[in-house]
Amino acid sequence: MMAPPVALSTSVMKGGLNCYAISEGHKLATASSGRLGAVYITIVTCSPRYPVMDTNDIDEEEFGFSRNYFLAKESGSSIKKSRSKISDIGVIDEQELLEAMSRIEPKHEKEIKSLKDSYRSLYSQWRFQIRCGFGLLHYGFGSKRTLLEDFASTALNDYTVVVINGYLPSVNIKQVAAGLADALWEVLKAKGKTSAASSPSWKQTTSSQAMDEIISFLNGPWGDDDIFICIVVHNIDGPGLRDSDNQQYLARIAACSHIRIIASIDHVNAPLLWDKKMVDLQFNWIWHHTPTFELYTIEGMFFPLILTNGSSSQNAKSASIVLQSLTPNAQSVFRVLAEHQIVHPDEEGMQISNLYAICRERFLVSNQVTLNSYLTEFKDHDLVKTKRHPDGEDCLHIPLSTEALQKLLQDISFCRCMS
Amino acid sequence: MGDSASGRSPATDNENYLQPFFVLHKAKPQVSEAKPARRRKVDSSLGSPKRQRGNHGGGEEEKEKEINREEMRMEAFKLVWSEIEGNAKGVMEEVHRESYQAINSWVQESFNTIRSRVEFGSAETSRPFPSAVNPISKRLFTALISTRNIEMFDEQETFKNLTMHLKSSGCYVANLSSMDFTAHSGISSVLKNFLKQFITTSFEVVDLSILATWYKDQGKSGAPMVLVINDLERCHGSVLSEFILMLSDWVMKIPVMLIVGLATTVDIPRSILHSEALQHLQPCKFNLGTLGERMDAMSYGIFLKHDLGFSVSHKVASFMRDYFSSHGGTLSCFVRALKIACVQHFSTESRSIMLRVLAEENKQGKKHDPLPELVDAFCLNTLLSGRNESTKDAKKELVSGLTEVKRFHGQWRTVVLCLCDAGKYSKVHLLDLLCEALDPEIVQSSEPDPSKQSTLDIGGYNQKFSTKAKGFISQVIAKIRDLPGPTLHELLKKWEVHFGGMDEILEKLRILQHMLGDKNVARSKENAMDILKKRPSRSISSSEKVSESVNENAASFLKYLIQNYLRPIECTPFHEVVCFKDVQKLQAALMGVSRRQIQVDLIDSTEILGCTCCLRSSGALAPSMHDTAIMYNSSQEQGDLINVHDWYNCFKLILLQPIDEGTPKRKRSSKSKKAETSFKAGKLPEVAIQARFCRAVTELQITGLLRMQSKRRPDYIQRVAFGL
Repeated sequence: MMAPPVALSTSVMKGGLNCYAISEGHKLATASSGRLGAVYITIVTCSPRYPVMDTNDIDEEEFGFSRNYFLAKESGSSIKKSRSKISDIGVIDEQELLEAMSRIEPKHEKEIKSLKDSYRSLYSQWRFQIRCGFGLLHYGFGSKRTLLEDFASTALNDYTVVVINGYLPSVNIKQVAAGLADALWEVLKAKGKTSAASSPSWKQTTSSQAMDEIISFLNGPWGDDDIFICIVVHNIDGPGLRDSDNQQYLARIAACSHIRIIASIDHVNAPLLWDKKMVDLQFNWIWHHTPTFELYTIEGMFFPLILTNGSSSQNAKSASIVLQSLTPNAQSVFRVLAEHQIVHPDEEGMQISNLYAICRERFLVSNQVTLNSYLTEFKDHDLVKTKRHPDGEDCLHIPLSTEALQKLLQDISFCRCMS
Repeated sequence: MGDSASGRSPATDNENYLQPFFVLHKAKPQVSEAKPARRRKVDSSLGSPKRQRGNHGGGEEEKEKEINREEMRMEAFKLVWSEIEGNAKGVMEEVHRESYQAINSWVQESFNTIRSRVEFGSAETSRPFPSAVNPISKRLFTALISTRNIEMFDEQETFKNLTMHLKSSGCYVANLSSMDFTAHSGISSVLKNFLKQFITTSFEVVDLSILATWYKDQGKSGAPMVLVINDLERCHGSVLSEFILMLSDWVMKIPVMLIVGLATTVDIPRSILHSEALQHLQPCKFNLGTLGERMDAMSYGIFLKHDLGFSVSHKVASFMRDYFSSHGGTLSCFVRALKIACVQHFSTESRSIMLRVLAEENKQGKKHDPLPELVDAFCLNTLLSGRNESTKDAKKELVSGLTEVKRFHGQWRTVVLCLCDAGKYSKVHLLDLLCEALDPEIVQSSEPDPSKQSTLDIGGYNQKFSTKAKGFISQVIAKIRDLPGPTLHELLKKWEVHFGGMDEILEKLRILQHMLGDKNVARSKENAMDILKKRPSRSISSSEKVSESVNENAASFLKYLIQNYLRPIECTPFHEVVCFKDVQKLQAALMGVSRRQIQVDLIDSTEILGCTCCLRSSGALAPSMHDTAIMYNSSQEQGDLINVHDWYNCFKLILLQPIDEGTPKRKRSSKSKKAETSFKAGKLPEVAIQARFCRAVTELQITGLLRMQSKRRPDYIQRVAFGL
């Protein structure tokens, strides 16, 4: 009957979400956090006029929860810690491991299929809920990528569906919003809503106001309430969307009258990304427990392997994936940096002024601001580290071996040729 | 629903999974135009046997029928929900009407004061800037509205209605929120958003002088300007203070009044605003209705205002009440819960389209009975289609069943309205009464037990009712016994309104009213005997006793009503057409327990997947289990730190152990055997085990159940969740 109890626990989501929950007979009403851990907690006591019926149950659950925590702590300290090291395992080469991972034979394919088939029978209900204005939030163990896309392709054919890959570290919510506005504009144009089609006001505004204008456009009203764009957000709690600003923007977009949202979460602390207003008023979630037990193949690409993590070579594959999602100009800037590092492997790195000069010569950037924005992107994704040059100037260094860098450059070139 | 999207080629998928976003597909053209055609098809086929003959067609026709059914249910839902929502809004407006009027009067009074100051200090108004120099002239009239609701988003509708009310009184009204008063956006953004609400033309310089000119140009110097800020607590103090100082400088030229919503106490501006800004405020306090009053009004609007519509079972109502209590008492969450229940009812109960006609009756006050017509339309689209006798009987049964549900519900509603009127004297909340009145246990089918039940057999049905000793209905009945004469008279007057069309009850009520007015002891006694045939007569000798007797009779009258007419909807046949009962489904939809459930998925993976090959009587982990489930289960035996080496070895041991231990061979399917063969000892190379281990750790990391090793402890990873 009650919200999940929370007790004296501290959890940290990768990417900087610090979540502190408290118990003591209070209900956690609002808890949202910024990127680097600003935590707001509002404690609301129960209304005395409408007493809660099952207080004892909550106390017991909370007690059990905190007891488990202290027991685990205790057993951790009382049992003699094992001195075994990862290196004793005899770790196989990373490349070989990655290849083996791509060949992993999934277990229980038949059962997983029948589980997904059972969800297919619910598609009509989910569609009904979306048409009634709700957002769908899917949780449970297993990748929900194929499930959500299958649902969208099967049951939402009447509507334009835009997919956001929240597991990618490089999602830019403003670009997404502009894409959604374009999609809605096309739909309105096709439906002959001429007043809307002739005034795409967000296209004429400056970048600082663009988001407000776009949201106002998405909110309409454009007449028929059955005209909407569906957004499917894989991993709305993913690293690229986890900060407070992105979640606020997503909530504002989801609250627009011509937008419906279908999302998946995988992290156990994901609900703490939102406050009550976002959950109930803006996202307007209906929760669906849909474990699929499918492998997180795509979602897990950006995580370093446990057995090879900490070794000198960074995961070149994940760097390649991040780079592929950046703009061609950003890729070219990275290439300049990488080529310099390959030619001068013994140097501390490339000086920023030097990089700027070369990029300007090659017409990759027109000013320092653009270059800085690319560099910020690289640093955010750990593609580049800053080091202090002996002469005092900052220089840039890619934390990859020369071989890994060469392979990475080949990968980028190949992908660009393919595209 | 048709085939899956598996038709998409892997190549397409490969291109898309690395894109931050992409268009999966575009809307089918001419969707909205196609729908009315489908609808017309349904309407034109009402009662047509020809249509039924064609029902043996292929899958396309079935698909078309399914789409038709969904459209019908959607239309019915929209109609029903718009009625519920309209009722809820209506009653909330009614609750706040007095407050709105008081605020409006205050606005007009404040405006007149400003005007008198303008006339008095004409020298000041003619100055360019700042127009006001006198500290009193610079004061901003400010209404502090105490909402007593910590969740300000719950008050959005309240302030929206207030804005509309003020606008209808001729005020110029602007709305700003805490989103505008942020340190990030600063004062210029606030000013811009404020000006934009009045001045539609574009302006380059953001300055209040533009607004002063605009106000002068309006030529309506008689209209006050109002700025509503609904959530003061969340505003940035410095930005708001600066804005207040700015407005106060212009108040002689722009007669603006502030209306500020406060979630906590009226002292809060002192801790948010700067002292200088505080000096420029002339506050006046207003209160909105209490949460209890608002909840009562909401319950009335949703469940009782109109006759039979969408209804919920006792368990669902009780759950919603507890949900309201435990979630900060937000009315919008309560309404949202009801909407989810309504959506779930319409999406799962095929006969829910019948609610459409009931909603139309409520809306338009229709008195004719189109129920059979609608049943026909429904039957064409469902399994009931056909022309044989059994189908006809089923239709007849459905029509008569629904008519009965409607009749019983009407009676139930009347009694609850009476209880609601009486409950106001004992401060019992309507939602509590409703929950109790919906309880099917209130009606007992067993033989009467004199020690537990009070039974009356005055005509009507032979049902018995039992009220809980400390229940809300018992409290109401007990209170009636203590009501003073004039109050009881007032109550009976209120009851009279509810009994339109119920002549038998009305007659009994009139007798009761007559008794109350009559001082004749003997007459009272006689009437009492008339009403309560089975109650033992008592000797009445004084005026106090007369009054006591009337109160007793009123209480008995209420009991009589409960006995004969309070039949909870769940006790009537065909109630499932209009009543939503699945409380677990509602609970799951309303508040997902993702933290707990993800862990349960991993612990009980075998059960959820429904596989037989992983079941072990000893509870040991089988090698055929999902890798991540094996890892998570084995981590439960560890402390908060897990040694990666040991964990890997444990995982390896499980994967390499013999598979046939503990599982009877005959239970295993061929598929399971096939799955098992790949996990036989010695068959799995080291590289595959390491790859599986890495994959499982990554998955646990994605779910947030593990934290990766730090530089300080490179050989350990940390558990994050402890217990469910």
